[in-house]
Order: sequence, then structure tokens, then C-alpha cells
Amino acid sequence: MNKKKIIIVVLILGLIVAFVAYKMYNKPHVNVFEKSADIITNADKILKDFSSDENTANTKYLEKIIKIKGAVSDIKIENEKGIISLETNDDFGSVLCHLSIESTKKIKEIQKGQDIVVKGICTGYLMDVILVKCEVINK
Amino acid sequence: MKHIITLVCCILFVSVTKSQERFLTKNGAITFYSKAPMENITAENNQVLSIIDASSGKMAISILMKSFMFKKALMQEHFNENYVESDKYPKATFKGDILNFDTIDNLAKDVKVKGSLTMHGVTKELTIVANFTRNKEYILVEGNFIIEVDDFNIKIPAVVAKNIAKKIKVSFKFNHTPYKK
Repeated sequence: MNKKKIIIVVLILGLIVAFVAYKMYNKPHVNVFEKSADIITNADKILKDFSSDENTANTKYLEKIIKIKGAVSDIKIENEKGIISLETNDDFGSVLCHLSIESTKKIKEIQKGQDIVVKGICTGYLMDVILVKCEVINK
Repeated sequence: MKHIITLVCCILFVSVTKSQERFLTKNGAITFYSKAPMENITAENNQVLSIIDASSGKMAISILMKSFMFKKALMQEHFNENYVESDKYPKATFKGDILNFDTIDNLAKDVKVKGSLTMHGVTKELTIVANFTRNKEYILVEGNFIIEVDDFNIKIPAVVAKNIAKKIKVSFKFNHTPYKK
């Protein structure tokens, strides 16, 4: 009788552990659309932060959800994914927003010169500040 | 007056040819593939910056480590936190010379690129064979190579040795266009 109980307890524990492990292994990616932004800024400010002090900007922005406002300077589609550049005062750099598949579908509604608000995850600075998994919040 | 016009023309001409000498892409693709008994892992980065100086045949590539997207969030987390330590080393770079750059034309051909790859704070000399195609509008570079994680001081714990390969296949595709602005 007692032995049976122990076996059942062990089995249940084992199942819980397996379930938690499975859940952890399949942990979903951050949902940019639903999660609120960590930082709200504009294209000019974020580029200035990165070009003046990249290390500090890295600790501030990397892997954070950034909500960013700016004027569209370029729109293109590469490998079926939309890329929107946001204008800055800097001559060379801009903010490159790589859109999600969902937002890419709505890319035709966006025009050059228009002000938009984009939410995405910042992955760093090369020539431009780069945001991935972007959603267009406001056209 | 005539001299000034000539001078202006010369400057214009020089700046025009200069702008045509550089080819660049801001959305080059790098994918890597790890084949291990327990699971196969792929990750993709579509934000790679690659620049070719067509006058010297030099090539420079910058890669943001945090731009590698994995299928599973947990893999991405482990990659960034435990293996490449992207907070400490946010970028990987490659600088190299394209050998026999002058022979590249509009017919795709394999060419060697000799240079150094810096990742995870370690720099290693490599020679990579890549397929080049060039015309007026673009320089397309495609290929793949194998890197060993040990070479870049990336430690894989014994517990997950069956999940992560020691040799990683890296594929790349860069479509450079003439740089203007």
C-alpha cells in the first residue's frame, strides 16, 4: 500500500518536472505587439546616443522593446520582409526597422516622408541603429 | 574662369567615380546550422553590414550577435548569454582581401577571400571560398564555411554536448549595391 503511494507521488513529481521542462524548452518569443515598450524615443535621439557612446547605448537599449517615432526615409522589401528607414539629422546613419511578417503585409499603406511610430527590439548599431521584429503602431 | 570649371568638373568626376567604388549591403544574410544527435539548430541574421571596396578588393563585414534569430526563445537566450556572451562581445567582424578581385565579372565564379574573423573576443585568420558575381548594379557574394566553436573560446558544457555541434556550418549571402549618399 505504502509502496504504491510512493510510486504514485514519484510519478506525479516526474510528470510535473517533465511538464515544466517542456514548457521552458518551448518558451515563446517576446510578443512585441502585446508587450509594452521599455523605452519610448525618437529616431534622432537613439542614433545620437549610439553614435556618441556606443557602449553606454548598448547597455541602455539592447534587447529592449523600443517604441520609436520618426519620418520614413526609405521603404523596401528584401526576402519578403519589409525594411523601413527612419530619417535622422545625421548624414550617414538612420534607424533601420526590420518589420515582422504581419507588419510587412501593411507596408503598402506607408509612404515616404510620413511620420510613423514603430515598436521593435533593438539589436545594436552598425552604420544605423537596428531594430528587429518591428510592428508599425501608428500610421 | 575656365580653370575653375575644369577644377569643378574634375572634383565632380572624382567624387562620382569614388561613389561607384564602394559596394555595400545593410541587410546581408548569415545563417548557421548546428547538427547534433539530439537536435538541429539554425539561426538567421538578416541585418549584416558588408562593404566591398571595389578599387582595392577589400571586404569588411560587421555582424550584430543579438540579431541572430532562433526558432526557440530559449536557444536564443542560451546563445546570447552562455555561448557568445553578446553583452560583452556584441559584434563579430570580418576583414579581408578578395584574392583575384579583378577576375570577378558577371559570370558567377568561386574566389578566395583571405582575412580575419573576430568573434567572442578571439581573432582567427581564415581563407573562405565564396561565389562572386559582379555587374554595374551589384556584387553578389554567396557561400558557406565551417567554424569550430573551440577556436573562438566558446565552451559547450558536457550536459548539452549532444545538443550542440562542435563544428558549425555558416552560410552567407550578401547582395552589395553601389553606395550613394
